[in-house]
Amino acid sequence: MSALAVEDLHVWFDLPGGRELHAVQGIDLALEPGERLGLVGESGCGKTTAILAMMGLLPPSASVAGRVLLAGGDILAGGDRTMRPHRWTDIAMVFQGAMNAFDPVRTVGDQIAEPLERAGLAAGRAARTRTAELLELVGISGERQDRYPHEFSGGMRQRAAIAMALACEPKVLLADEPTTALDVMVQAQILELLVRLTDELGLAMVLVTHDLPLVSQACTHAAVMYAGRIAETGTTRELHHAPLHPYTRMLFEATPDLRGTDAVRSIPGAPPRLDEPTVGCPFQPRCDRAFGPCATTRPPRRTTEPGHLTHCHLEGGA
Amino acid sequence: MRAGWSYVGRRALFALITILVAISLNFVLFRLAPGDRTSALRCQGCTQEFKAQVRAEFGLDRSVPEQYLVYVKETATGNLGRSFVTQQPVLAELWKPVRNTIPMVLLGTLFAISLGLTLGVVSAWRRGTITDRTSVWSGLLLYSLPTQWLALMLIFYAAGPLGLPTSDIADPYLAYENPGWWPELVDRLQHMVLPAATIGLVLFGEYTLITRSSMLEALGEDYILTARAKGLSNWQIVRRHALRNSLLPIVTLIFLSLGFILGGAILIETVFNYPGIGLQLYESVTERDYPMLQGGFLLLTVSVILMNFLADLLYFRLDPRVTE
Repeated sequence: MSALAVEDLHVWFDLPGGRELHAVQGIDLALEPGERLGLVGESGCGKTTAILAMMGLLPPSASVAGRVLLAGGDILAGGDRTMRPHRWTDIAMVFQGAMNAFDPVRTVGDQIAEPLERAGLAAGRAARTRTAELLELVGISGERQDRYPHEFSGGMRQRAAIAMALACEPKVLLADEPTTALDVMVQAQILELLVRLTDELGLAMVLVTHDLPLVSQACTHAAVMYAGRIAETGTTRELHHAPLHPYTRMLFEATPDLRGTDAVRSIPGAPPRLDEPTVGCPFQPRCDRAFGPCATTRPPRRTTEPGHLTHCHLEGGA
Repeated sequence: MRAGWSYVGRRALFALITILVAISLNFVLFRLAPGDRTSALRCQGCTQEFKAQVRAEFGLDRSVPEQYLVYVKETATGNLGRSFVTQQPVLAELWKPVRNTIPMVLLGTLFAISLGLTLGVVSAWRRGTITDRTSVWSGLLLYSLPTQWLALMLIFYAAGPLGLPTSDIADPYLAYENPGWWPELVDRLQHMVLPAATIGLVLFGEYTLITRSSMLEALGEDYILTARAKGLSNWQIVRRHALRNSLLPIVTLIFLSLGFILGGAILIETVFNYPGIGLQLYESVTERDYPMLQGGFLLLTVSVILMNFLADLLYFRLDPRVTE
């Protein structure tokens, strides 16, 4: 049974004037324990919205449909009531920009221990001991738990945010661009830490990023999102060496390669508007392999090997 | 942990310096006016000799720096001169009405804080609902009403039905009956209700609006999303994270308005004929009682500075980012 499975997840945002923005248009994901899935795509393609929806954290202006299965049970169905007991104990999150993820007027330790107390796992002295353990786990001295967030550096704060996410020993970790706004050295450290911890603790992790090399480096699997849909998903190796969707190939071509001599090629055009229905393939106007059916028919879901899926009319790879 | 004594010390020193500057300005301003105390003497016996004698009596024959030193020294020891009207020391004359004003203002402010903060938090949390819109509009309305008009309306429409006195601080006939402390206290409180309600309603409007916007800002912060993700209930999120952060600007506001209210109660105390510091200042103006006015203004300045100092101290307690 998958640690986390997302089936046909949709998110709509209400817009003024009664219109709707279809931000996430039916995505499917599945993760086994210990797997790391990189969720990549351009800004505004729905990555962050999708993982916020998985924890029921979207604002009231959003409506969500689909199923989010944690160890087989749907946590999305009953709204906040069924979601709340699972938050942080089964599925936790490392937020984008840990700068502001901590309350500035409470100590870091206090905030790490907070979910422990909420879930009845530890309180008082036991919670302090556990908090110190968690901080040590991410390489911060346990004594620093009485410090305030502003007394931590950016990298330390991000590590403390990871320690906080691990507090209740969740089975699934959602990391929303955990390394943006950090310098390259610290980025590498944080990434290494996440890889080590998911290996040691058998966590399933979804890593949201727009940084492809980071995915190749850290993730076992990848899902490429475009305009609210999954363009292609498979192992990182498959996506890199045998992409089925032209968007995946073009994304890799747009990434500078340290060893390669190929020129970096950008993808012309811009993603489609999500507040109007799209006919055919949403990537068709920007695609270099577009042909007959692309403009008129929504691409079918196709698979070549188990677990390697794409939504594209092309047969035989991009 | 932060001991904070050096912070307190520096803040206190800063407050003292500010008071000294205010005192000095008081000194300079009155000497910028043309003429002196003898210029207005227009009598038969007012010879040059007599004027010189008066000047010497008031110390006006000495050099300006010397006068300044005497003034600062006397002010520091609490000698603010004598009232022209009653010939009594200014400090004692000011203290009586201040003692009447403080409980009245505190009553109104406490009312405003407890209700304004509660309603502000609730309407921020229930943003866009009927509760929110009702409290925003009532807050806006009360905040923008002229104080003296609100006071008059309370006299017209509330005093009668509620059986509350509209003037003065105590029933003058009650003292003859010698009824004991309890009826006297009740009588005092009854006299306090309407002026306190006037202050309270205006401040209530202000506090509701400010709390609401400050709370909305806090609720939009990333750490609130973190708190939700951690599975905290709505009430826990408000109590543990949003409230304390949104209180920071409100604390400053409350202390600032407490500092100003001693002077700001002039209109209210005049309408209700309540013998507090506001009414006293009003009467001193009409009677051209300059020593009382000087003393009164000094008192206002000191109270504003003192409240600022207290706000600084509380801020230090509430916000760990404020460093020494």
